[in-house]
Amino acid sequence: MTDFDEPAETAMLRESVAKVTAEFGPRYYQERAARGGRTIELWQALGDAGFVGVNLPERYGGGGGGVAQLAVVCEETAAGGCPLLLLLVSSAISGEILSRHGSEEQQARWLPGLASGREKMVFAITEPDAGSNSHRISTTATRDGDDWVLTGTKYYISGVDEAPRMLVVARTSTEGRSGGDSSDLSLFVVDTNAPGLDRTPIPVEVGAPEKQFQLHFDAVRVGPDRLVGTAGDGLRLVFSGLNPERIAGAAICTGIGRYALAKAAGYARDRQVWGQPIGAHQGVSHPLAAAAIGVELARLMTEKAAWLHDHDRPAGEASNMAKFAAADAGLGALDAAIQVHGGNGMASDYRLAHLWGMLRLLRIAPVSREMILNYVAQHTLGLPRSY
Amino acid sequence: MHVVVCAKQIPDPANPGRLSPDTHTLVREGKLVLDDSDAYGVELGLQLAEATGGEVTLVSMAPHDETSGLRTALAMGAARAILVSDDALAGSDALSTAKVLAAAVRRAEPDLVLTATESTDGYTGTVPVQLAELLGMPSVSFAKRLAVKDGVVHADRQTEAGYDEVEVPLPAVVSVTAGVVEPRYPSFKGIMAAKNKPIERLGLSDLGIDPATVGLAGARQEVVSVVAAEARDAGEIVVDEGDAHERIVAFLEQLKVI
Ligand SMILES: Cc1cc2nc3c(=O)[nH]c(=O)nc-3n(C[C@H](O)[C@H](O)[C@H](O)COP(=O)(O)OP(=O)(O)OC[C@H]3O[C@@H](n4cnc5c(N)ncnc54)[C@H](O)[C@@H]3O)c2cc1C
Repeated sequence: MTDFDEPAETAMLRESVAKVTAEFGPRYYQERAARGGRTIELWQALGDAGFVGVNLPERYGGGGGGVAQLAVVCEETAAGGCPLLLLLVSSAISGEILSRHGSEEQQARWLPGLASGREKMVFAITEPDAGSNSHRISTTATRDGDDWVLTGTKYYISGVDEAPRMLVVARTSTEGRSGGDSSDLSLFVVDTNAPGLDRTPIPVEVGAPEKQFQLHFDAVRVGPDRLVGTAGDGLRLVFSGLNPERIAGAAICTGIGRYALAKAAGYARDRQVWGQPIGAHQGVSHPLAAAAIGVELARLMTEKAAWLHDHDRPAGEASNMAKFAAADAGLGALDAAIQVHGGNGMASDYRLAHLWGMLRLLRIAPVSREMILNYVAQHTLGLPRSY
Repeated sequence: MHVVVCAKQIPDPANPGRLSPDTHTLVREGKLVLDDSDAYGVELGLQLAEATGGEVTLVSMAPHDETSGLRTALAMGAARAILVSDDALAGSDALSTAKVLAAAVRRAEPDLVLTATESTDGYTGTVPVQLAELLGMPSVSFAKRLAVKDGVVHADRQTEAGYDEVEVPLPAVVSVTAGVVEPRYPSFKGIMAAKNKPIERLGLSDLGIDPATVGLAGARQEVVSVVAAEARDAGEIVVDEGDAHERIVAFLEQLKVI
């Protein structure tokens, strides 16, 4: 039978991440988000303790753990009121792709910075005409001598201002372009301050400290050492980072769900409207109980997905299901928690409503709810592809 | 320098505690955690050991071979632990505890022994000095700052009026206050390393202690009854009408706090 005992090390990791996060807390996070600040200090504290790079290889300063441990870091920071979007980007997707497919030299150059938390690497795939459909990516990288020259537009790229470098998905051959062929995509590491690269913030209502950008690549030149893997193999490499990204996203959602439910339960135990705690009314307690069930189920699937990924088993189905379930469960929990708080639920000081944007975002990104349903319909149920 | 830190494992203070109805002693069942007040000693021990190329050994007495709290301290960086666990130790009073700890500490041959000033679940605050007496070592209690130089401990000892500067030669027993240093949280590497660190498990016979002299059998102290603490009166709420600072100062002066 499956063993559901949480290993002592995992429990200790949870506790330690929660304690580091508690030094900063929900108020720190909320204020940084509201004032357009960053959460650098928290990131650094987590980096110093080895949590930001928990899934990266030990020989480059990482923890040598897996995505299961990274999910714990994502969940506990979120449960402490500090959901960190860039864990999903830098540690999960960029970190996993580099450690699986980067050359020795690339790993030695960039992984130590990611592992220690001193540097982040963000990830740029989405374009105005290529979101759910990455086959339509039109940013090109053309050869010029030994170099590659990138031209095109990306948007909704998170944290470009916080990272010295990013992983960019670009088309290295235009032949298959009209047919939307994905065998021509390649991955490059590009400096965020490279000449010819222009960035414009996109105002969003996510309520998170991380900012999103539209990027224009106007003949941005990179050396041959910046190509990750082989040219034309980009989409396959990206796929190896997608499951970790989904798992990390799911863990952020369940973490926020736990945060919201803990606050709501505390409030419902204390708040009296008719001479007894409102938690005594089933109209109050049942939605919270139902939300707790949703969050726990999503946590189970998230753990399963992480286990499968870490054991090199196919993890696509479980990762997709976990992300889907966790985003819905997190939103359900937050909504129930806000309701229980009455008017206070909308008050900044009660520190709930500002988290809605992050959960709502995670229903759309990194992969939308609909695309997950498409995947499950097709792969789990064997139904015809609908698009 | 080889530092021994006495580390108590206690029921999680986040959960409400329970007293045994017949002995009035704390029920210690299930998972125990490292007493937060011992985290300061562990941290200080680690800093002193790291500065001198030494190591920290933990010494703990706990029921049922419990090691969860020790793992936390090992994850912080302690090198090894000695755990004394024996059914005959149930109901031990402070002196019995000190006897057991002294026997275990002796085996480790430390240069310095650190303890907290008192535990969070028992807080008699008498074990550190009893331990020093049994070990025949000088002791400093309530150290809020501590440095070791040329075999001498220099400590600032907290008093009601301020602090005394105290010096004692090593080996010594020092109890440290919360805040003497800022305890680190276990890092991921520390957590993984803790898995393979040795924990020596000892019973009373290993320490040559007669079971009749410790535990409930040997206790010289008995809790005869327990009463609920009196509920405190609601405090006075000072509403600021421009003079709040003056009223607060007056209140603190009346308490002789300032
Ligand atoms: C705050 C924020 C941060 C982001 N950060 C990053 C980042 O760091 N890096 C990055 O590369 N991208 C990032 N993104 C982009 C994000 O990954 C995309 O927005 C997401 O993948 C959806 O793509 P799209 O916006 O183009 O939507 P579209 O693909 O245009 O989809 C629009 C709607 O149609 C639905 N839909 C599309 N096709 C189908 C179909 N076949 N069947 C059913 N429904 C369908 C979708 O589910 C969606 O609801 C971020 C987005 C936001 C908002």
